[in-house]
Amino acid sequence: MPPEAPATRRFFREAIARALREEMRRDPSLLLLGQDIGAFGGPYRDFEGLLAEFGPARVRDTPVAEAAMVGLGVGAAAAGARTLVAITYMDFLMPALDPLVNYAAKLRFKTAGQLAAPVVVKTTAGAKGQGVAHSQCLEAWLMNVPGLAVVAPSSPGDAYGLLKTALRAPGPVVFVDHKRLFPMAGPVPDAEAAIPFGLAAIRRAGRDVTLATHGWMTHPTLAAAASLAEAGISAEVVELRSLAPLDIETLAASAARTGALVAVEEGQLPCGVGAEIAFRVRECVPALAVARVGARPVPVSSNPVLEAASLPDAPRIAAAARRLLRPSAGETA
Amino acid sequence: MSDAALLRTMLLCRAVEARLAARPDCGFQLFSAGEEAVAAGLCAVLGPGDQLLCSGRSIAPALARGLDPAAVVAELLGRTGGPCRGRAGRGHLAQPSAGFFGAHAVVAGNLSIAAGVALAFQAAARPGIVAVLFGDGAAGAGALHETLNIAALWQLPLLFVCSNNGWSISTPAAAHLAPARVADLARPFGIPAATVDGTDAPAVRDAAAALAAGIRAGGGPAFLEAVSVRLGPHSTSARESRTRADLAALAARDPIARLSAALGEALAAPLRAAADAAADAAFRTAEASPPATADELDDAA
Repeated sequence: MPPEAPATRRFFREAIARALREEMRRDPSLLLLGQDIGAFGGPYRDFEGLLAEFGPARVRDTPVAEAAMVGLGVGAAAAGARTLVAITYMDFLMPALDPLVNYAAKLRFKTAGQLAAPVVVKTTAGAKGQGVAHSQCLEAWLMNVPGLAVVAPSSPGDAYGLLKTALRAPGPVVFVDHKRLFPMAGPVPDAEAAIPFGLAAIRRAGRDVTLATHGWMTHPTLAAAASLAEAGISAEVVELRSLAPLDIETLAASAARTGALVAVEEGQLPCGVGAEIAFRVRECVPALAVARVGARPVPVSSNPVLEAASLPDAPRIAAAARRLLRPSAGETA
Repeated sequence: MSDAALLRTMLLCRAVEARLAARPDCGFQLFSAGEEAVAAGLCAVLGPGDQLLCSGRSIAPALARGLDPAAVVAELLGRTGGPCRGRAGRGHLAQPSAGFFGAHAVVAGNLSIAAGVALAFQAAARPGIVAVLFGDGAAGAGALHETLNIAALWQLPLLFVCSNNGWSISTPAAAHLAPARVADLARPFGIPAATVDGTDAPAVRDAAAALAAGIRAGGGPAFLEAVSVRLGPHSTSARESRTRADLAALAARDPIARLSAALGEALAAPLRAAADAAADAAFRTAEASPPATADELDDAA
């Protein structure tokens, strides 16, 4: 968002509800499906007010049946509606991967353009005390599927703009938010605005190292950059925003300036977001020093001590950057 | 649709599949031989505003729905003259403009998709119904329970049709389904359900017509189980697991022989000749269509 655009401070959930409200008004075919999104207003109150304005035919509470929810959303989208399916926890996307991956992502190709599935699956990733099956970040799985777009905002303004684009996209989009984002507030443009997919954002300019991240991890990464600055290391923070498509150009330009890249994610490292961007940026910047920071290869416990111990935080991100920049340390990726 | 028209449809399905099976470039196919009466009887009650979805056993459903046989064959042979330009084949054959929303080769995978199509119909107040055809192999999957529940809750205009041929590849229904009748799965949801002899095309048509009329009248979803036979192996790559005696007993239940006998040879013989001629013509036209090339992938990338 350009800094000069008039904006008002809103909660993350308000930004999502506003994007949904505007798009529901613009497109009468848009249907919302999800658990507890009607009178309850959504688990995070991000659907608040929508049932009252649009009624139960367009804002539909569903049974706990993620596979059928996404299947219905995909089928309805393929048949001329536009749909958003809310999957409360990203972990529960797993039973719904069949309609999403085997049907929606293939549909345009396999029918030679006769059908497409303009469906948004909105889901909430990440750890916040809810344990091994309610905490995972599975974005990298989805990046592996041709035909899926994947976006993950870190702020109310981006959530608003990216959700607007998702709700106008021609094919399936997975919109990944994060439990820790919902209590946050931030500027949301007063005028209606959409943020295109495939555009990373430089959140902090720096000279010595590029820290690349997405979603909630943007916040610990910015904190790490601030602590590195105190130690005389100038870190540039690039927030991906869109994971598929990826904005390698912006990342590579940053990495070419700094000569070092630390890829940060809350999810697992093997075949992860960081592995992908490190490789792709290295194709553009061959002499680049790269490192990755992610979760330890263990389940994420609901025990707060164990949860914190398994996940990246600002000190670990800063430590990875310092190791990378120490000439004797070499490459750690 | 008259009984003779049902026979004409079934004969075309059988003739096309027989010609395909005889070709060296047949490819990986699931044939409908023995189940043509289900496709023909069901499609007899579907109109131009309706949509049909089915499993990967799609050749007879597509032909019965009225798709151009030459286009269907082109798709099966990987030619660009197919409605999906040869990208989809049998497993994902689709032509929604002709009321055939399409096949989906994931067992039970098309159930919730079909409910979604029905939801779009309902949301847009569009007249017409959606039918989804699946096998007994799909009846043990959770997708059926989830979809029955939502279809009943939301009163979707959806006709579930199970062609129960008694086999999930090599596993008999007795070993993969606890209920004796698949239609019993629908009843606890308050969904009207019927079981019919799926080798009796007029009986399938009449049962489907009664259930479809209820859906069209706003009664919500309905369920038809058609007890059919699978005359051949599961697919062109699967071994036949049944004995010769079993297969001979199944052949005695051939739905085409049954209706031919009922209508008389004087009526059946010219229909058979016409179906053979139509299938030959379809293959000739399809073979003139250019094969898909790797350029098709550029469009996807």
